[in-house]
Amino acid sequence: MSPSVLQGIASGDQSAVRACIDEYGALVWSLARRLSRTTADAEDAVQEIFLDVWKSAARFDASQGSEKMFIAMIARRRLIDRLRKKSAEPPMETIEALETIAWCDPGTASQTASEAELATRALHELRPEQRQVLELGLLHGLSQTEISARLGLPLGSVKSLMRRGLIKIREYMNIDAPTVAVRT
Amino acid sequence: MAGSELPPEDVLDLLVKELNEGLSPEEQRLLATAAPQSTDDTRRGLERTAAAVSLAASSADDQPLPPALRERLAQDARAYFDAVAAPGRADGSRAPAPAAQRMRRESSVGWWAAAACLLLAIYGWYRTPSTVFKPIETARLVTPAPEPTPEMQRAALLARPDTIKVPLGATKDPAAAGVSGDVVWDARAQRGFIRLAGLRHNDPSSQQYQMWIFDGERDTRYPVDGGVFNAPPEGQEVVIPIRNVIPVHLAKAFAVTVEKAGGVVVSARDHVVVLGQVT
Repeated sequence: MSPSVLQGIASGDQSAVRACIDEYGALVWSLARRLSRTTADAEDAVQEIFLDVWKSAARFDASQGSEKMFIAMIARRRLIDRLRKKSAEPPMETIEALETIAWCDPGTASQTASEAELATRALHELRPEQRQVLELGLLHGLSQTEISARLGLPLGSVKSLMRRGLIKIREYMNIDAPTVAVRT
Repeated sequence: MAGSELPPEDVLDLLVKELNEGLSPEEQRLLATAAPQSTDDTRRGLERTAAAVSLAASSADDQPLPPALRERLAQDARAYFDAVAAPGRADGSRAPAPAAQRMRRESSVGWWAAAACLLLAIYGWYRTPSTVFKPIETARLVTPAPEPTPEMQRAALLARPDTIKVPLGATKDPAAAGVSGDVVWDARAQRGFIRLAGLRHNDPSSQQYQMWIFDGERDTRYPVDGGVFNAPPEGQEVVIPIRNVIPVHLAKAFAVTVEKAGGVVVSARDHVVVLGQVT
């Protein structure tokens, strides 16, 4: 991974844009396919995500996390926003606040270099039902209500499994200290 | 949490829901009222956690960008950089500032608004040329064409190069006797139709037929729901559009089961009527 791709984009280097597409295109495409209703939706989402990335590039701070994580966060925000807009729920405010992306506890360089590996290990530490709920929600884009219906679990159980699963992964990865303290 | 009437667990549940699927306006207001600014750290921590989980999963199934999409991204990039450069050029009284400086002016709300408008204009032009350049004469009032029947839509879909056709075979279930049919499916359009003949008439108030799509990228225990439908009397042929509520990335098989009226989320597979495997 080149640490300078986003910094290059921020400085107006168009070759960095091509490098960004080369480097992270597959990642964004993978996330978009998982969290989009159709392939056409996924393609539209990828275009929106990369526009968001270019606009946000100047906010990237290499000392506080990997580019890959930064882009994955931007992608998730955009994809959740699109899913919500396409749902039958009433229209809501946009989740567009990309300006609010800021890196919290950065961890060390060695930690950020293996975020995906750490998350994989953390996922394997979860109870199977916690992992399943997180997979259906975070990776397949199902709402908590849809997960509840699909698995035949009460909505409260789904919420609890998702909350506790996320907190366990966050703790395993040593991602910041919770300011909303709850029992897990 | 001063001033909050929500227990911490409820605040966290709202933050998790926001992360997973977004909040309703009411939930947004509730969270904003009940939770102090200090939840921002928690929100970002959860967001980062979810992104890490996504990375863990995506690394296993990354596929290259489709070439056409890559080209569109390259065009978007050119349009973006042109838009970023445009205000300086339009000014005329001074040379354009270096791109790096321009992009750091995040506090300049007006500039961003202008750039955003320009981007939207460019993006809108690029994405919807037929709307912008539609010749005036095509806007004449004409008698609307009749809605194509499912049979016509199926035939049109079948004519597309990427559409697959999968024969369906009857099982040994009593309801399957004499049933035959097929599925046509276009993965790119996420559209498809199932055609069945000889299906036993059902009483919609108690039972319905339900379609399922087995996605090679999902847990096989949970095929994708393709919607419910009814069979007419006399076993006439029916063509039913598939209504998958979630995307099917890699269709591997199709099935029809008999379920209670309204369908089920997870089928017990007690009455599988037909099955077809993508070869």
